[in-house]
Amino acid sequence: MWAYFINLAVLISINAILAVTLNFILGYAGIFSIAHALFFGVGAYTATFVAMKFGAGFLTATAAGMLLAALISLALALPALRVRGEYFVAASLGLQMLAVTIFTEWKSVTGGIGGLTNIPPARLFGFAVTQPEHFLLLSLLALGLIVLVIRALVRSSFGRSLKAIRDDETAAWAYGKNVAIIKTTAVVVSSALAAVAGSLYAFYLSFINVESFVLDTSIQLMAMVIIGGTATLLGPLIGTVLILLLPAALSYLPYLPVTEIGSIQQIVYGLAMVLLMIYRPGGLWGFQDAPPSSKSGTA
Amino acid sequence: MSEAGEILLQATGVAKTFGGLKAVDDVSFSLRSGIITTLVGPNGAGKTTLFNLMTGHLIPDRGEVTWLGQSILGLPHWKIARLGIGRSFQDLKLFANMTVAENIETVTERGSWLWQPGGRPARQARREKLEAVLAATGLAPKRNARAVDLAYAERKFLSLARIMASGARLWLLDEPASGLDPGSYQSFLALLRQQVREGVTICIIEHNLDIVQGISDRIAFLDQGRLLAEGDPKTILSDPALAAIYFGERAV
Repeated sequence: MWAYFINLAVLISINAILAVTLNFILGYAGIFSIAHALFFGVGAYTATFVAMKFGAGFLTATAAGMLLAALISLALALPALRVRGEYFVAASLGLQMLAVTIFTEWKSVTGGIGGLTNIPPARLFGFAVTQPEHFLLLSLLALGLIVLVIRALVRSSFGRSLKAIRDDETAAWAYGKNVAIIKTTAVVVSSALAAVAGSLYAFYLSFINVESFVLDTSIQLMAMVIIGGTATLLGPLIGTVLILLLPAALSYLPYLPVTEIGSIQQIVYGLAMVLLMIYRPGGLWGFQDAPPSSKSGTA
Repeated sequence: MSEAGEILLQATGVAKTFGGLKAVDDVSFSLRSGIITTLVGPNGAGKTTLFNLMTGHLIPDRGEVTWLGQSILGLPHWKIARLGIGRSFQDLKLFANMTVAENIETVTERGSWLWQPGGRPARQARREKLEAVLAATGLAPKRNARAVDLAYAERKFLSLARIMASGARLWLLDEPASGLDPGSYQSFLALLRQQVREGVTICIIEHNLDIVQGISDRIAFLDQGRLLAEGDPKTILSDPALAAIYFGERAV
């Protein structure tokens, strides 16, 4: 039981990193990317490659993943962000599909469909992190650092510029914001930080394959952010916990055949999204961050 | 009435065609510092297009646009904005989900990165500017309200607050007074006059002739993309030919 909880907690913190970094562009900058799983994958494959080929430790392997994710996202963002939002959705979808093909076909690096096994444990300052409890600590530490970085960014002038661009791009240009550069930077930061989750994931499972980095993952991450509450710091964390606990919770319901849990889960997601759209368009946590109008007069 | 000074912005022979429509047709037009110039004309006369051409939102097919004698043709519009040309929009284009204070703060920040240049003195100056702008526009009690939650007149004042906070030397205002109640209109007018005294130059697009009369130091009359007349308000407003065009009778 204990091992089960630790495992769930590690997976939650890794997914939370992805949700928080996706929210940075989706919630604060209004950039709808459905390629977030791709950067998760780039982080995982790169860290694995560097660790297995060169015996790199956790920090070096993670840094390599971040760098590659940053470069790839730059290549995506530079052309795609010059056009309006809808095109970015299409461009990111195309890139996500392309990435899945590469992850599947580039067998010498990614191991193809079978993936890569026997990934060595994460080495940190000379110690191998083999205990699940220690790994949980490492993931929580990474999550904490990333939340702090995102928090600093969104509360700075950079964050205000992002929100201004999200709310009205024309006005942002007209008030001297170099919209293209600001959006590109946001995408690069978000992708590089998502790669950290990939590195953690690879070292934790010691096995990765393309299944974890497909379009479904990107969409599930989007659901975490939207259900939790976009443009809030806590929303994506809440969304991650809810979505990852849902299958576990369903499996405790009596009279529910285990084989049907997958499809029931989909029904619950769908229902939750529709109900949220009607009653809580800002997400579960959404209303907290945006000051409600009733409070405005007292400030 | 204020005295006109040097030429800030000058458009020379600018033209812009959309498909077969000549939206702006060979217009030469200058904005002199220290006064309020009004652009009048019927719907579709090309007033907003002229604004877009002067701020780099559109690039003219022909002609030249200069700021303080230097050509700004082809500069990206965010760079033109940083020269000191601010504009408001007919549909306001506020940063809807940001608070009133954030709407103002973000335009006072020149850099878009983590830290602003200038350190503590600059931060203090930005804070003072925010307070001054909030006070001048009467928005201080609403500082933590989101722009989308404001009443109509408040939104109009926020759009002015934003341009004020940007430190722009020239304000191009697209129908800033439309829909204001008489009380708000009076404070709006006082605000503009105060700004002009403090050295701001203003160009307004306006439909309502009462407002035009009350506010203008100079009037430019546009119709079908052409600048028909330019001069002091008395001359322009008493011209029967222009009145006929304005009120819908086509002049010969």
